[in-house]
Amino acid sequence: MTQLHLSDDRLIEVCLLEAASIAEQEHLGACARCDARRARLRTLLDDVSGAAVTEADAAFPPDRLARQQARILSQLQHDGRPGRLIAFPAGHAHEATVSRTRPSTRWIAAAAVAGLVIGVLAGRFGHDYSLGRPGGTRIAVTRSADAPELRTGAILEISTAVSEEEFLSQIEIAIDGPAAAALQPLDDLTPLPWEVR
Amino acid sequence: MAVSVGAVAPAAPLSRDSQLAAEIKALVVGGERDAARDRYGDLVARQQRRAVRIAYQYLRDAHDADEAVQDAFVKVFTHITSYREDLPFEVWFTRILVNACLDLRKSRARRLRWSVPLASTKESAPTDPATSEQTPEQRLVSRERANEITTAVESLPDRQRTVFTLCHLAEQTTAEVSAALGVSEATVRVHLFRAIRKLRRLLEHKQ
Repeated sequence: MTQLHLSDDRLIEVCLLEAASIAEQEHLGACARCDARRARLRTLLDDVSGAAVTEADAAFPPDRLARQQARILSQLQHDGRPGRLIAFPAGHAHEATVSRTRPSTRWIAAAAVAGLVIGVLAGRFGHDYSLGRPGGTRIAVTRSADAPELRTGAILEISTAVSEEEFLSQIEIAIDGPAAAALQPLDDLTPLPWEVR
Repeated sequence: MAVSVGAVAPAAPLSRDSQLAAEIKALVVGGERDAARDRYGDLVARQQRRAVRIAYQYLRDAHDADEAVQDAFVKVFTHITSYREDLPFEVWFTRILVNACLDLRKSRARRLRWSVPLASTKESAPTDPATSEQTPEQRLVSRERANEITTAVESLPDRQRTVFTLCHLAEQTTAEVSAALGVSEATVRVHLFRAIRKLRRLLEHKQ
């Protein structure tokens, strides 16, 4: 009978997976030791499953299962449906087709245009002012006489520039001003033309 | 082995749940999605208890188990057209559920890696399996025994715990567990034997 003792693995199979064969059943009926082993194993498995089931069932009472089921079905109800598009009100949609630019962008553009107009007007004013000066006109005429190869357009360009005397006098005034003091160290570092020679 | 649906007669009569799943599949294929969803509510109700037991045993957290079960049921309905009517629905569903549990465990591990541990973020599940008929002493012994069992099961390696849970708690055969986990039946048996041997070692001497 000793040879027929059931192994541990076989006992597990008998308890958990499949029924014992007829020979094994006879042996278990006759062998108190194997029968006790089987009983202990059954008790152990029952304890384990009982503890697990009790624990899980306590964590999931019926009302929680009902809520879970409702969530599942609710999720399925929304599954597979395309997202709902919310239409803009008609008035807003119409306004959007009039202008697609943002207000801030429009302000920037308006400011740029205004700046350009002011610049053109200021240039025009400065041009008229210089032409109004008698010196400027005189130099332009003088130069056109000294250099006959220059075209008329070039003469007009020169006439718009500040005269040489005026330019030099502006430099002298600037040198006497307080801003020149800051440039003095730079002037000290710069070699003079006669020193280079 | 590719078997066309309905080409091979099943060896055993299909369970009620498998028949229900086949009906739901037919409704979805026929474009009757609302009717299919109504029928699916019945299937959920039939499988739900078993599903939360498996998920809870696997994840040891009620919130995670809740989420895993919900994900699994939604996935099942979403992919119901790929259900093979010649196979038990329980096996197919269990496989999806186990995958949902695995995904959740991975995301939980990632979450824990980057989070500061709080005093106790785990939902304290009621672990008192005692019944009202027991005396206080008996309840105390039962609670201690339940804690020992829980600790012992948790100490099992992942694969052993999964196989043990499916074979013992979900009452699936080794062939079904083999199909659910995608491993051979021999491997399932090896894991099952090792799991039970370890549980015996941990628990029998304390009885």
